[in-house]
Amino acid sequence: MGSYQGDDTTGFQSPAQDYVEPVIDLAQLLDLRRPGLYPVRVVGHELRARGIHAGDILIANAAAEPTSGKVCVAFLHGEVILATLNLKDDAWWLTPSKGSPLPVCDDVEIWAIISALVRMRV
Amino acid sequence: MFALIDGNSFYCSCERAFDPTLRDKPLVVLSNNDGCVIARTQEAKELGLKMGDPWHIASKKPELKSVLWKSSNYVLYGDMSRRVFDVLSSMVPRVEPYSIDEMFMDYTGLEGDMTERSVAIRAAVRQIAKIPTCVGIGPTKTIAKLANKLAKADRSGVGVLDLSTAEARREFYPCVELGDVWGLGRASVAKLAKLGIDNVASFVSMEPDLVRETLTVTGQRTHAELRGVQCFTFTDAPSSRKSIACTRSFGRAITSFDDMREAVATYAARAAEKLRRFGMKAGAMQVFMRTNEFNDDPKYSNSVTFEIEPSADSFALIGAATRAARSMWREGFRYFKAGVILIDLYQAAELPVGDLFASRDPEKSKALMTALDAINGRFGRGAARPSILAGRADWSMRRGNLSPCYTTRIDDLLTVRS
Repeated sequence: MGSYQGDDTTGFQSPAQDYVEPVIDLAQLLDLRRPGLYPVRVVGHELRARGIHAGDILIANAAAEPTSGKVCVAFLHGEVILATLNLKDDAWWLTPSKGSPLPVCDDVEIWAIISALVRMRV
Repeated sequence: MFALIDGNSFYCSCERAFDPTLRDKPLVVLSNNDGCVIARTQEAKELGLKMGDPWHIASKKPELKSVLWKSSNYVLYGDMSRRVFDVLSSMVPRVEPYSIDEMFMDYTGLEGDMTERSVAIRAAVRQIAKIPTCVGIGPTKTIAKLANKLAKADRSGVGVLDLSTAEARREFYPCVELGDVWGLGRASVAKLAKLGIDNVASFVSMEPDLVRETLTVTGQRTHAELRGVQCFTFTDAPSSRKSIACTRSFGRAITSFDDMREAVATYAARAAEKLRRFGMKAGAMQVFMRTNEFNDDPKYSNSVTFEIEPSADSFALIGAATRAARSMWREGFRYFKAGVILIDLYQAAELPVGDLFASRDPEKSKALMTALDAINGRFGRGAARPSILAGRADWSMRRGNLSPCYTTRIDDLLTVRS
């Protein structure tokens, strides 16, 4: 809506219309229409070592299965945080950047696995 | 064979999907202008809150002090509804949205156990679209809907009820009140009560002739459907009071935007007519378009939900719907289906009078203005007016506790602490 397509002029139709290539579509590249993908915004600097900075947009994938070592969005005692996943004795554990590992349970939930990162100001 | 999947307290579940502090708490979502309860969690239900309760009264009751509330956020609910639809479409070949939170799935010809399939679908929707649901299965839509209702009432947590067999129906029908049946209004239930018919088992055992004498054609169809005789096909159903949908598969695939605009405008106009017939206005709209799921055509499916200046005005609704269609249109696909669903419905009289500002869209063509003026001249000022741009939601409604549009606005993204 509202974007110039070359076909909506009041004068003659643009002869270039058939040759216009669309701009690169990051939503398409990241496949953001998939139902399990949720962009989220990072607050805090605790994961710099993992290359995740404050203000970054992370793409969280709720359809992805947990994998050891991956960063995930977790619901932890009423808070939304980033944590690192680990499989120990057939159970998933979450390690927040502050604090010790916690086993996944009712109040410690894996919400989605981080699959991509978008940084606007580099 | 049909299955109906329905989000549990859908609007509340959408809010809970992004906010863990709302979990396990009594929560309600309020209608436009923060007026009445339009969704409530099980915890809120147990405290005695009813649908339609005016919040300014309920919130003052001491026993309801603990109840949390949210203003309605249809942009968020629409996007979560799209996610539910997309998950279902990836698991069953045919899905038909009935309202923002209810979708019919066609199980005809699918192999394997239907309950197991439903359990898997429920789990996927819960994990991916973050919405807890219940599923009802039946040979007709009315039975599937009833099974869904019973599945929801059962608190064991299974969330799936299969009424596909006559044995299962015989077991459940005697315990179900007629008021719980889709398509039987209060008047019909009262008429049947006079004949001593007060549960589904005694209703289905009635002679069709007597049903015809006692009830309307709709009642007759409901009777047949409950007996397992299909009256509603996959694409039609009795109208919902929660939303007005006008969707259609095209006879021939649509490949030009002009045809799509025409189709979407027609659906919007039809939906607007229905709206006016019910004396209602819509405060939000969902528009979708998609390619054929069954053939080898390249696939594209998109849907967008947005709030509009509350209206029952054809021009406003057509304008909003076609602009939404424009924003979703991608060249090069063969479109198979499109639709317009009006949500956030309320009686026109409930709206605050006055300064819902009639916004002017400077791009409107002169021809349309002339047409609007002609209509306004004939039917009175304000009968028709241009709508505001899709996606803007800043009219003078009170929305004191609106959640962020987590999934559709870049400034509203869910924040995660590192």
